[in-house]
Amino acid sequence: MRRLGYVAGALVAVAALITFPVWTSGWESSRYATTILRDMLVLAIFALSLDLLVGVAGMPSLGHAAFFGGGAYAAAIASQRLGNDDLAIGLAAALLVAALLALAIGIFAVRATGIFFLMLTLAFAQMVFAIAFQATDLTGGSNGLAGVHRPTFAGLDFNAPDALFQLAGCVFVVTLLLLWRVRTSTYGRALVGLRENERRMRALGYDTLRLRLSAFVFSGSLAGIAGALSAYALRFVSTNDVGVPRSIEAFVSVLIGGTGTLLGPAIGAVVVLYLERVLPSAIPFAETVLGIVFIVFVVAARQGIVGLARAVWSGQMASRRRAARATR
Amino acid sequence: MQQALNGISFGALLFILAAGLSLIFGMMDVVNLAHGAFYMLGAYVALTVVQRTGSFWPALIIAPVAVGLLGLLIEPLLLRRLRGRHLDQVLLTIGLSLVIVDLIGLFWGREIRSIPLPAGLDHSVTVMGGDYPVYRLFVIAFGIVLAVAFSLIHRSTRMGALIRAGVDDAPMLAALGVDIDRLFASTFAVGAALAALAGVVAAPVFGVFPGMDVDALIYSLIVVVVGGLGTLSGAVVGAGLIGPADTFGKVLFPQFALALIFALLALVLLLRPTGLLGRVRIAR
Repeated sequence: MRRLGYVAGALVAVAALITFPVWTSGWESSRYATTILRDMLVLAIFALSLDLLVGVAGMPSLGHAAFFGGGAYAAAIASQRLGNDDLAIGLAAALLVAALLALAIGIFAVRATGIFFLMLTLAFAQMVFAIAFQATDLTGGSNGLAGVHRPTFAGLDFNAPDALFQLAGCVFVVTLLLLWRVRTSTYGRALVGLRENERRMRALGYDTLRLRLSAFVFSGSLAGIAGALSAYALRFVSTNDVGVPRSIEAFVSVLIGGTGTLLGPAIGAVVVLYLERVLPSAIPFAETVLGIVFIVFVVAARQGIVGLARAVWSGQMASRRRAARATR
Repeated sequence: MQQALNGISFGALLFILAAGLSLIFGMMDVVNLAHGAFYMLGAYVALTVVQRTGSFWPALIIAPVAVGLLGLLIEPLLLRRLRGRHLDQVLLTIGLSLVIVDLIGLFWGREIRSIPLPAGLDHSVTVMGGDYPVYRLFVIAFGIVLAVAFSLIHRSTRMGALIRAGVDDAPMLAALGVDIDRLFASTFAVGAALAALAGVVAAPVFGVFPGMDVDALIYSLIVVVVGGLGTLSGAVVGAGLIGPADTFGKVLFPQFALALIFALLALVLLLRPTGLLGRVRIAR
């Protein structure tokens, strides 16, 4: 019964999300809100992909923008060079390029753990940035690629207003379901084992290097999908999409929302994009606020928003149980 | 020949930059990702000093001292709360760099600025039959003098002995009655000041601009990983290798300049997982 309630609640939430432009159409700023929410969803997918590494497998990558940007460039270049705007082709190109990049970087990076893994992913991602910056005839260099075509798919045309929002919403829901499925699978549990005690996993006979590499490639491919969505949504790809600030954006989202919690990174993405996109119209030092919020979470609330909410919730449940026992 | 000198002078700059990062890591096991932000802050403070005084030389003292004082504040206020949680300390420095870089943009603006070469070093001399800017020779000499001074301090002063002991085993040092809080705070301050010093020295050559923090951070990370983390000689060797490699790479195959030093990085990681002269295993 309870489970049915959860499923019904989730379905209602998904329906409310996808139809957001419809039921807010009366609002004065519905258009603007939809655009912001669309970009939040894209960042959320990106952050979710990163949390598989940071939160589940315990691999703090600070170079995830390499795969996000790789996917974004791949989708844009595929539609430009092939003259075909099919969504399936764009996403496949993004997936392939991001996966290959993740494989190439991962082979070196997954040999390191903890702080060293973080350093290496940061450094190697910067190599992808340098390539994107220098390969001007392919990527447009510092000018980027403007006018990326909106995709088409099975007769659907994503040029329609809000169509890309709905696409991002659907991909977001699918990503959530996929990650939930992965986390409850044997593979997901093995990744948690890596995080908790890698030596023990080795002793149990797991090839931990291969396990870490597979997580890196899987997570990188998902980031590539997020990148492709970003290219379609903004109709623009530039070296910003492969830069360190983009990696930090996702990392901060994961940490503020709560590492290793399914919904946390998405909530963190909402907070981060609010601070980065909405707040600057009010104050000129929004990035400083973001930095301070991040520092506060690292120092005082490492479990993130979802972790905090859980602690409060279970604390309340415990005191309610105590109260119930007392009255009995 | 020109390029060889360019490479060496870039290497000397990288040494000043990476020495601070390596020192902080060696002592505190923290990779300070705000190192690039400190470097940038040093350059911008230098910009203001040069504008106010009309002279470059005071900046060489004022900027490192100012940034060092900032480091002296940050360590006890923030990093100390997370002692023992090394990864969280690293994450904290990400937040720090966000704040510092944004405030720099707020105070100094977000345009590309330049600092004129200091008077007396703004001409060229003939070296091996070609003209060569004196300032770059000054950078080489400055780097070498610093390296020699550091190794003397490292080897034969009380401070050096404390640093060596702290790098080896900080908890043991604390148990022996050394005030480890003060040692860590001053280490962090000196590391930050070195980053700022590198920023001042680099400013007349490379200019002052948003994004310079990321460049500096990436280069110093590569230098310490290649040379080996936590040792002074590692910073020397890493900088001595990466500086010339990067410079020659940019001349010989401009398209793949960065790929060259990353290839170097990958190669070192595969063959010497501790870096060339390091004490910590980075990869397995």
